Amino acid sequence: METPNKIEFSKDILKINPETETERTCQFIREMAHKGFKRKGAVVGLSGGIDSAVAIELTVKALGKENVLSLFLPEKESNPISLEYGQKQAAKLGIETVLVDITENLQSFGVYQKRNAVIKSIIREFNDASKFYISLPQNLLEKDRINYHSITIQDKNGNKETKRLSGAEWLEISACQNIKQRSRMIQLYYYAEKNNYIVVGTTNKSELMQGFFLKFGDGGVDIEPISHLYKTQVYQLANYLGVIQEIIDRPPSPDTYSLPVSDKELYFCLDYELLDLLLYAYGNNVPYHIIETVLGLDQKQIDRVFKDFKGKEQATWHLRRLPPTINPV
Amino acid sequence: MQPTIEQQIRNFIIETFLFGESSNGLKDTDSLLETGVIDSTGFLELIAFIEETYRIKVKDDELVPENLDSIANVSDFIRRKQAEV
Repeated sequence: METPNKIEFSKDILKINPETETERTCQFIREMAHKGFKRKGAVVGLSGGIDSAVAIELTVKALGKENVLSLFLPEKESNPISLEYGQKQAAKLGIETVLVDITENLQSFGVYQKRNAVIKSIIREFNDASKFYISLPQNLLEKDRINYHSITIQDKNGNKETKRLSGAEWLEISACQNIKQRSRMIQLYYYAEKNNYIVVGTTNKSELMQGFFLKFGDGGVDIEPISHLYKTQVYQLANYLGVIQEIIDRPPSPDTYSLPVSDKELYFCLDYELLDLLLYAYGNNVPYHIIETVLGLDQKQIDRVFKDFKGKEQATWHLRRLPPTINPV
Repeated sequence: MQPTIEQQIRNFIIETFLFGESSNGLKDTDSLLETGVIDSTGFLELIAFIEETYRIKVKDDELVPENLDSIANVSDFIRRKQAEV
């Protein structure tokens, strides 16, 4: 739909030309690796998810499979299919792989012990056989609300219980959980530096805009070749590049808790198809009446989402900048 | 004279989120979210303060801006909850 101010917005606004996008991104990876960093190859952490699969497809295209190393970095709470799919994706590309189980690293930091002590203080029945995930309320379009985190635990019999987390509980649990991604960063840099490679990141634009990545965790990388692509655009590339079907079909998930949780449940509260269009509209100041017409939402719903966007954007500003300094060099 | 609920909430906000700096510019009716005074984690701290200080339980469905997003809203919410007890 065109507007008097020539702001275009439609449900197809995020359609990309995958061939052109692939060439552009591969050129970026090549230039960065060879000219920017003066390295001949790259390390990519393959999580079994769509972003790392697309990132590694592009990296192999850009640098050649002999110059790409894939790392699998599971821990005892990882979903086993993450490793299975990651290995299948790597096998399809014919690249060298290394498997590093980071469970011992996490145990040495006391991740499981400290975190589980907090959870036990919230839900007495929680024990080592229990599994859990954390989520936000899923009524973002329907209701004005203030975000809060809830923990859902499942006992060995499959019984579930959900409780709201206090601020202190959420902070301590997430501080423990964040060590997982930071440990992975350490391993990625070990293998990159020893091979004189760069570390290729896998953050997409939807995540970048809303701060859904971790400082010095999955955000601790040398280049971010897909951070200009919304999640739904990553899927378009995945189909074009021939990422394995299991990964394309797999619901997006951070795979960070012992019970599966989707990106939507943990952070975004919207399906990616709608989220990305609204993020585009938000970032490009598309007038409300256009959004209402194209997406079939009313003003209140758009307001709720944009307030949520703004809150997350403001809270995570520091993830998108270098650390502040008095006199930048 | 006992501080009003508004004053207690304002003092908590100054100590916890403004780190002692004056809140002169913050009106009782200003949105705490939109002014950037409190983020979502901060609201959880505010809720913990409310529950401990006023001995009331904030239910999940009460976590809405009309109850919590300004000093005035918080104070009115606390008074309503106290009247229920």
